[in-house]
Amino acid sequence: MSVDGPPLLELRHVTKSFGGLCSVDDLDLEVREGEIVSLIGPNGAGKTTVFNLVTGIYAPDEGEILLEGRDITGLASHSVAQLGIARTFQTLRLFLNMSVKENVMAAAYGHTKAGVLRSVLRTPGMRREEREIERLAEERLAFFGDRLVGYRWEQPAYSLSYANRRRLEIARATAVNPKILLLDEPAAGMNPVETHEITDLIGRLREEGGYTILVIEHDMHVVEGISDRVVALDHGVKIAEGTYERIATDPRVVEAYLGTSATEDT
Amino acid sequence: MGLPLFSVFDTVRELGWTGAVELFRNGLALGSLYALIALGYTMVYGILKLLNFAHGDVYMVGAFIGFGVLNAFGGSPAPTIAILPLIVLMFVVAMLGAGVLGVVIERFAYRPLRGSPRLTLLITALGVSFFLQNSMLLLFGAQFRSYQSFQLGSDNPAAFEPGPLFEPVFTIAGVNFQRIQLVVLATSIALMVALTLLVAKTTLGKAIRATAFDHEAAAMMGIDVNRVIAATFFIGSVLAGAAGVMFGLMFSQINHFMGFYAGLKGFTAAVVGGIGSIPGAMLGGLLVGLVESYAQGYLGGQWSDIAVFAILIIVLLVRPTGLLGARAIQKV
Amino acid sequence: MGSESDRPVLPEPDGPQVGVDEWVASAERLRDRPTGAAGVLRRAEQVVTPPIQLAIFAGLAALVPFWLGTGDLFTYGIFVLLYVLLGLGLNTIVGFAGLLDLGYVAFFGFGAYMYAILSSDHYGIHWPAIVTVPLVVVTTASLGLLLGIPSRRLLGDYLAIVTLFFGQAFVVFVNATNPVVAGTGLTGGPNGIADIDPLRFFGLEASTRTQQYYVLLVSAVLILTGLHFLSESRTGRALRSLREDPLAAGAIGIPVNRLKLLAFSIGAGIAGFTGCIFGTLLTAVTAGNFDIPILITIYAVVILGGFGSLSGVVLGSLVITVSFQFLAPENPQNNARVLFYTLIGIVIVLLVRSWWRVALVLAATVALGLVVQTIVEAVAPSWTGGPVVEGGRLGDVIEGWVVIPEGHPDFGSVAYVALVVAVLALTQLRRSRRIFALPAVAYLAAVVWETSFVLQPAVARWILFGALLVVLMNVRPQGLLGTPRVEIV
Repeated sequence: MSVDGPPLLELRHVTKSFGGLCSVDDLDLEVREGEIVSLIGPNGAGKTTVFNLVTGIYAPDEGEILLEGRDITGLASHSVAQLGIARTFQTLRLFLNMSVKENVMAAAYGHTKAGVLRSVLRTPGMRREEREIERLAEERLAFFGDRLVGYRWEQPAYSLSYANRRRLEIARATAVNPKILLLDEPAAGMNPVETHEITDLIGRLREEGGYTILVIEHDMHVVEGISDRVVALDHGVKIAEGTYERIATDPRVVEAYLGTSATEDT
Repeated sequence: MGLPLFSVFDTVRELGWTGAVELFRNGLALGSLYALIALGYTMVYGILKLLNFAHGDVYMVGAFIGFGVLNAFGGSPAPTIAILPLIVLMFVVAMLGAGVLGVVIERFAYRPLRGSPRLTLLITALGVSFFLQNSMLLLFGAQFRSYQSFQLGSDNPAAFEPGPLFEPVFTIAGVNFQRIQLVVLATSIALMVALTLLVAKTTLGKAIRATAFDHEAAAMMGIDVNRVIAATFFIGSVLAGAAGVMFGLMFSQINHFMGFYAGLKGFTAAVVGGIGSIPGAMLGGLLVGLVESYAQGYLGGQWSDIAVFAILIIVLLVRPTGLLGARAIQKV
Repeated sequence: MGSESDRPVLPEPDGPQVGVDEWVASAERLRDRPTGAAGVLRRAEQVVTPPIQLAIFAGLAALVPFWLGTGDLFTYGIFVLLYVLLGLGLNTIVGFAGLLDLGYVAFFGFGAYMYAILSSDHYGIHWPAIVTVPLVVVTTASLGLLLGIPSRRLLGDYLAIVTLFFGQAFVVFVNATNPVVAGTGLTGGPNGIADIDPLRFFGLEASTRTQQYYVLLVSAVLILTGLHFLSESRTGRALRSLREDPLAAGAIGIPVNRLKLLAFSIGAGIAGFTGCIFGTLLTAVTAGNFDIPILITIYAVVILGGFGSLSGVVLGSLVITVSFQFLAPENPQNNARVLFYTLIGIVIVLLVRSWWRVALVLAATVALGLVVQTIVEAVAPSWTGGPVVEGGRLGDVIEGWVVIPEGHPDFGSVAYVALVVAVLALTQLRRSRRIFALPAVAYLAAVVWETSFVLQPAVARWILFGALLVVLMNVRPQGLLGTPRVEIV
């Protein structure tokens, strides 16, 4: 973890409204290289909107977003991805009719360069690059043990179980070769065994993959298990920031999740 | 080049106020037709997210049904019953017939495909449109049929004296406003008002709006989604059928292909006004009618379609949701 | 980190367990294996890889001029290949990239007209093909690019309408607007442009049908190869991703808008190229060659074959073009008759599962016909005994079987409406009941054919066409050789 130099990802005074609803309000957020930061908050707090702003799906009304000190505010999605930010989606957006391997290979587009002409002519250079892309995909899929290897490679993505789909989406995101991974509720809909695996997985993504990770999560076991730092949002406003232990007992966080009467009992 | 830019100003000056008012009158009449067609498009799109290409052909069938009724009573110029009840009967039968046709199309072509990808539905709609057009061609032949509405009920048809439909009712700036045009305008307005009331005040209207928002949620609230969708098709097709008869009464000549262009322009009107918006369809229809009329008058017939097309492109590029459409915010 | 005691203990797997990934996967593989005709096709497609498919196609196609006369070669061989090319271009836009372009035929027309203007007597310009063809291709591709630019802002349905309008605008422009340039109408108005130069390359001229056929065949093979390679590359993957989910594709670094423009350009370029060849084939072009019916035909080719499938385009073109030409009014009606009755037979086979039941239905249909014919002859002889149009031997047989009234011109129309109602009612019956109604409906179809369709074959084929589209989308939207798609709407 580097403590000097600019943070890997930084949001400054970012604000976004939809019609009359202010989804993100004057948010400052930073993620340092090698960190795992969790973003928590009740539903509607604006967490996914933050992801959408960072990845260029929306442009903020005010404020700036910086990647390694470089302003990426308002850039198109694909440019942001090519600069090194990859994400998964809360609702799972896989390419269902493409095979497992193809899903991951597709993500290599941003850092490969065989053009239309070379593809149509099938030059040796293009074929070499194709083999590399395939190798990359196999490697990223192997990260998940046996689940997504072998005969699974050729299977269409829609035939995967729910947990495997989540894993595939993460594998696809890593194939972008990003500097930072944005995971949107990676443990959603998983049973306790799978949730444990996700917790280990995120740790391994940092240790073995070297990724910096920003996670949105509801399951506090996961948050506890992975986070260096936790940021809590409510109604678009950052209400607390710190280690898990500190946040878990912060009265404002408890109030946001459970309501005022809960804090009166403590 | 073919575009007579400078001579346009000459033409405008030549036609003067009389010309301008006349074109306005034509545009209003035409626009009412497009508005009625556009309403059908917009309602079906709002509830199914489907571009019902076959809608224009329902309009065409309505025109033919009206023709059939007219001829069943002897036709122009001297039908066997009085003009007014005859016209009412034409409207009623054509509207009902068109409505039933719309429901049948939905039931057999679209309902089995509920939930399919958009492309599949669009192709099916194209197929239905083709099927309808060519079926009418097979049944009625390629020659144009005519309502001969000019002489309908005329006292002296041989002398080309207009029947009651085409008698001028009043005159503005030297331009005659004929009875039929007023009838068309009045009927269209009445139908649109009725539709607006239906959607805003009745339970069915509420059900339609709810289903347009979210099928599943509506179903969970106890709304029979299939019935509501069928009702929507029925209403839209009834309006199209009315428009078909109006066209026949105003312009006399009908043929199996008339639905295609009318449908396209009706759809343009719906998009320009904001698809899914009922007042938008009305506004769009009038706008398209006026543009077409003035383009025809000032630029010449071959440019009028392109002018309408140009309006569509401009609106889509500048304000993609249409003039009165709601900005759709997609939750990601 | 969670403590070890929290983690549940799983039994060691020593074999596939129900509900666990391995078992699920193998069970799915068993269940998904398609049976019947589709299964045979699927397994065949796996064994016969694309290069072999192409070789077979090219080999067979190269032999065609040897067993078809010149007239047939033109009607069938050349038109099949023309629609293969057009289908390939459309497939790139709609199949590869998922963009609904309803104005595609305008690219075809633009290419034809541009070539015609540059290489004919119209303006007396006679640029050599080696210059014109690449120029036309590039220009048409740029036009595709231009049309694609608004597509970034337009959702699928809007794009469809805008492109449809564009296609119509082209026809109107060419037909009616016909601006005067350098003394003559640019596009020749309703008469179009005639006397187009034949294709001349390096001193060789493609003026006989056989030569033109081979030019088309070589082009088709080259374009098929190129598109196949493109599909198997990173660009092809990116296009498929774009078709699946543009938002997710963008999120993994795929420049969605740029790829859409690319798809449009490639598709348009192919259409432009085909337009040039088309002009040289017919030596004249008019607006009617590039209107909605042609567009629908190209779509039918791609739909029948299956969006995204290159071999599907070839198969689709074969089926559609041959059927169409069979139903052309110029053709002796017996061909069409054979086609139609075969079609009824195919429908029965598809609706009825087992072979002996199929035989039963066919026998019942024949018997029903004979019974009806006998009854009508006895009761109201004027309602039967009419001649079969352009019969031949088959026609004589049919005459004794189908009720063809003489002197009742509206009968055909009534029968047609009755058939439509009957078919719709048939779809509502439960499968087990259907088999009883089938003979009656089949007989009615034969009656309609002989009393109505055969008199207006051109209209009949469009009716069948429209019906085909509807039925296909309901029954098998992925076409013959496409893969069934799962989509989140």
